[in-house]
Amino acid sequence: MKSYKGIIFQILIFLFFICLFGLLINNLIINLIRTDLGFNFSWLLKPASFALAEHALPYSPSDSYAWALFIGWLNSLKVIFTSLFLSTILGIIIGLSRTSKNIILNILSSFYITIIRQTPLLLQLMFWYFVGFLGLNNNFIYFTNIFKINNKGIEFLGLSLTSEYSALIFGLSVFTSAFIGEVIRGGIVSVSKGQWESFRSLGLSESNGLIKVIIPQALPAIIPGLTSQYLNLAKNSTLAIAIGYSDIYAINDTIINQTGRAIECFIILLLSFLILNLLITNLMETINKLINRKRIYIN
Amino acid sequence: MYLKKIKNYIQKLKEILLLNSLNNFLTILLISTILILSIQSFNWVIFNSKWSVVTANVPLFAFGTFPEEQRWRPIIWIVSLFLISFLSIIPPKWKWLRKNLLIAWIGTIPLGIFLLYGGLGLQTVMSRNFGGLTLTILLTVFSSIFALPIGIALAFCRQSSLFVVKKLSSIYIDSMRAVPLIAVLFFGQLLIPLFLPLGVEIDRVWRAIFAFTLFVSAYIAEDIRGGLQAIPNTQIESARSLGLNQFQIIRFILIPQSLRIALPALTNQAIGLFQNTSLMSILGLVELLGVGRSILANPKFIGQYIEVYIWLASVYWLICTIMALIAKYVEKRLKIA
Repeated sequence: MKSYKGIIFQILIFLFFICLFGLLINNLIINLIRTDLGFNFSWLLKPASFALAEHALPYSPSDSYAWALFIGWLNSLKVIFTSLFLSTILGIIIGLSRTSKNIILNILSSFYITIIRQTPLLLQLMFWYFVGFLGLNNNFIYFTNIFKINNKGIEFLGLSLTSEYSALIFGLSVFTSAFIGEVIRGGIVSVSKGQWESFRSLGLSESNGLIKVIIPQALPAIIPGLTSQYLNLAKNSTLAIAIGYSDIYAINDTIINQTGRAIECFIILLLSFLILNLLITNLMETINKLINRKRIYIN
Repeated sequence: MYLKKIKNYIQKLKEILLLNSLNNFLTILLISTILILSIQSFNWVIFNSKWSVVTANVPLFAFGTFPEEQRWRPIIWIVSLFLISFLSIIPPKWKWLRKNLLIAWIGTIPLGIFLLYGGLGLQTVMSRNFGGLTLTILLTVFSSIFALPIGIALAFCRQSSLFVVKKLSSIYIDSMRAVPLIAVLFFGQLLIPLFLPLGVEIDRVWRAIFAFTLFVSAYIAEDIRGGLQAIPNTQIESARSLGLNQFQIIRFILIPQSLRIALPALTNQAIGLFQNTSLMSILGLVELLGVGRSILANPKFIGQYIEVYIWLASVYWLICTIMALIAKYVEKRLKIA
């Protein structure tokens, strides 16, 4: 009797949502017909006719919208993976300083964490861009053509980074590192105190013990938190639009302004994020597996 | 004599330094960096900064372009919010007031709408005149009040034994969590009008609140689910044996406990929401950061980025820190109780 009720209830809910969706889609179709846009993806092959300052592969305004979107996706990937790397290094430093015995290091790192975590990322990005890079003079740091930092970005051994890209990477890495620092601190704290005492009594040095005893045990607690921080980083990278870096979101935005194809672009944006998320979660799962395999090997 | 003492002293100092040379080196390096930085920033604050860009625009930062003679309305609303949160943090002795706090919180929504939009005797104010901190608080408070019950409902739906309910809510939660917030806000600003029937229009501010609610409720649902999973099954069994029905179990056993467990996570959501309202400045609402952007675009204040950003950062920092401290206090009190 009860299961009957359940099934009927579920069918009703399902029907309700189908009706709701139907209504919304119906409105959408009416609106699209009214604005004479329709729904198709054939515009993707037309020339984009806007320039991009930042492109990893050759690109010109006469290339298609699809190619522009792909370039934007690559730009996003570029930002995400560089900041992922940088923020991890910074985060490890912050996390270790938070757990260190050095009082000044400890105070400084908690100061860093509260300032970074309690202010909006968007504000930080604007700060890095407008004050951090555009505020510099022509030769802020100049080291015989090898290493240059000025208002046009960073130049290092022929590798030149634009100021938008550098500011974005700085901002994202600094922001994410505060969160990663907390994740790492949590992981280290979760290892029991007995482990510290035992490696000390075995005569291992502090740094050696940390690397060989504490961190391997902290990793299983760290990896899930790290994964969610990486996913947040990927999502946060869409704020690039605020400082004029052409990532996937910014290019979608430009295309919508040009063509008015909001629905199609939104679908493309969602799909690209689906792929990005899958990429990052798969990467982290592989790392997790590697660590677990190693753990079994040690045992 | 003296020479020997000094030599001894130096010997001891050397021992200390050599024992922990890396640490000491770090300490000296850090102290000197802090000193240099603080002298430089002190120098800048005293001699080189022009705070007139902030002091001249305080009303703009607080209210946006809300009509000058009507500014008492947002002030009253914000003060009432403060009062209610104060009463919620330090509960009054009167039982009737304590019992009706939830109603008071829900009541802040119609009160806010009435005071800000006007009507019924008050002069009407268009929502495009909302701005500054008022709009930031409006977006945060409205979205969190809407998102909390939806999040709780979603969390229970995800734990439900009914297949369709469970699947629908997990699809919703997972897809919302996979998408960047700015995409959801963009959906709210540009795509919602496309899904509405002809002639029906929703205000920009309400569309933003709607989008924030959609986004945050998915995150709240996951936090509450974490709380629900932490409640041992024996509690439900004992509640059943006491004769409580499903609704009573949810109302009296599961919701209060899961809220208590999820409180730190929920605070983080609230702080995150407060910070994330700044994204609306990209999408055309002039909230706190948006005011800063529009002031910096004014030729009168051109190039004064540092002052404006430091001011905005300190406002955000102060409010977020107060929220975090309150949450810590409440957590402590709940643990004792």
